[in-house]
Amino acid sequence: MHRIFKIAGQSFDAVQAFKLRTIFCLLSVALGIAAITVIVAATEGAYKKAFDMVERFGPDALLVISGSEEARAVGQRDKTLTLDDVRALQEALSGAYLIAPMTSIGDVTVSYRNQKYQTRVIGSSSDYSNAWSWPVVEGSDISPEDVKALRNVGLIGTHLALELFGEIEPVGKHILVNSIPVEIVGVLASRGTTPTGSNLDDRLIMPISTVMKKMQNEAKYISAIKLRFVDQSRINGYEEEVKSFLRQRHRVPKGEPDDFRVISPKEIIKFLVALTGSLVVFLGVVGVISLIVAGFVLANLFLLSVKERTKEIGIRRSVGARRRDILMQFLGEAVIITTLGGMAGFVLGFLTAQLLTRVAEFPMHFSWKAFTLGLLLSWLIGIAFGMQPAARAANLKPIEAIRG
Amino acid sequence: MAICLLKNITKSYELGGESVEVLKDINLQIETGDFLAIMGPSGSGKTTLMNIIGCLDVPSAGEYYLAGKEVSHLSDDELSLLRNEHIGFIFQSFYLLPYATVLENVLLPTLYVANGSNREATEGALRLLKLVGLEDRAKFKPNQLSGGQQQRVAIARALVNDAELILADEPTGQLDSKTSGEIMELLAAMNGHGKTVVLITHDRITASYAKRVVHISDGRLKLEENAQDIQDRGAVI
Repeated sequence: MHRIFKIAGQSFDAVQAFKLRTIFCLLSVALGIAAITVIVAATEGAYKKAFDMVERFGPDALLVISGSEEARAVGQRDKTLTLDDVRALQEALSGAYLIAPMTSIGDVTVSYRNQKYQTRVIGSSSDYSNAWSWPVVEGSDISPEDVKALRNVGLIGTHLALELFGEIEPVGKHILVNSIPVEIVGVLASRGTTPTGSNLDDRLIMPISTVMKKMQNEAKYISAIKLRFVDQSRINGYEEEVKSFLRQRHRVPKGEPDDFRVISPKEIIKFLVALTGSLVVFLGVVGVISLIVAGFVLANLFLLSVKERTKEIGIRRSVGARRRDILMQFLGEAVIITTLGGMAGFVLGFLTAQLLTRVAEFPMHFSWKAFTLGLLLSWLIGIAFGMQPAARAANLKPIEAIRG
Repeated sequence: MAICLLKNITKSYELGGESVEVLKDINLQIETGDFLAIMGPSGSGKTTLMNIIGCLDVPSAGEYYLAGKEVSHLSDDELSLLRNEHIGFIFQSFYLLPYATVLENVLLPTLYVANGSNREATEGALRLLKLVGLEDRAKFKPNQLSGGQQQRVAIARALVNDAELILADEPTGQLDSKTSGEIMELLAAMNGHGKTVVLITHDRITASYAKRVVHISDGRLKLEENAQDIQDRGAVI
């Protein structure tokens, strides 16, 4: 067998023999790697979450919201978009395959028999489900005829359905919305909670014509327009096109801000990454500091070990070990310990992440990346901080070492 | 053929800015198959001489030929290789690795052989353990053995790479007289099998096992005695 394997075997023996040193080094490395593992998982989790959100929003989609960004809080913005804007956009934009108007009313009291609940009612066209890639899982979607005829029909979110109906099948039942009877025709798939904490499944979708006429007494203005385009790669161009088209229609003078706001997939990613960024930075600092501390613990314990094992080094040199054989053995010991520490740290990080996910609903995602990075960092620490003690061991003169 | 040939060997150390000559103009020839005892009081330079013979140290001046090769200008790596292939050390305090088993201790020199089969090395080590009478102790740790047994392990270790030169530095220094006798018998038996043995000691009885004795004092080799002289004197004492 080649010499290097035999020396690696000696490293393994020493790692087993000097248990206290092994345990201390291993634990300190494990803590650092655990922090790094959580960071990587959190970063990946944030990106995955952002990616999922974009998938649902539609990578080919834009959302135009009424009111200028600077003006006021979201709910209090002036409505500036109109149904005419929607029609004009439909005629003008050849790249858009779907344009859905939306209007929204918050805190609407809905009831089924004795069950009452406050929810958000959204009026839209029959394209709502497609506009948000949000499938109807039970019953049927709102039809164009429903919108044309101002029918009192609705799609219900799973959270609202549970609050009103409990175990009862909602499709076909009638509920009261602001004392208007509405028939539930379908149930939307469950989408869970947004990172900011609002429950997406707490909503009722109705034809926009019905909502505007019977609930808002409104003929013209709407809250938002969702657009989807054929060519996803040209989404930035479409955004500019929609902006200048609406500015022209709304006669916004040059230099004035838009009287509407356009949300693109790009912005959603930015928002989500910013949301998790602060925790990642905090953990990153903690992780790097604990890794450096681990490195110094390792270096110190190894220096002590070299001193304590001077005679062993002398014996090995006398039977023919070269300087580099001694160097490799001690470096091997360091790398074996940090590798074990890295693996323990990965497990520790995994458990910590599970806890974080449960307590803070923090998106975590584990992949080979977190594991590989942890392993590489462990090796780096083992080599960087094990090198000096190992070199000291290797440079001991045989005759001095053997005298202890 | 001379396995060791020392020509005008001098060794000096810098000590507090002063140069101290530990070995002065040493000339010595050791033939293959010889059993030589180097005797001298402590501080006479005998350990320094052994370090040079054992390639653990290099002389300040002079030439040293080991197995026909001049070694005083060799690199550290080359000296390591020479020790590994040609020399087996036996020390006063045995110097076994405390955390390794008896077998692993015997195998230690085989780790630093560039290639070679593990199975053959282990078989060889077990054969040697049998030779020194410790075949049933292979899995023991050194601290489970008596001093004499530990020294037998060290002898097996010195032989495992089939070195032709055995260097024993006070091999009986920590042993009682009965065990000392057994260890010396074992070394004499190795010499009988063709190994060259160089023994460093200050003890006349230990030295009496050698075929030839040289004295060292103040860094100079003194007179040379033959074994008969020593045995005679030993008998007188």
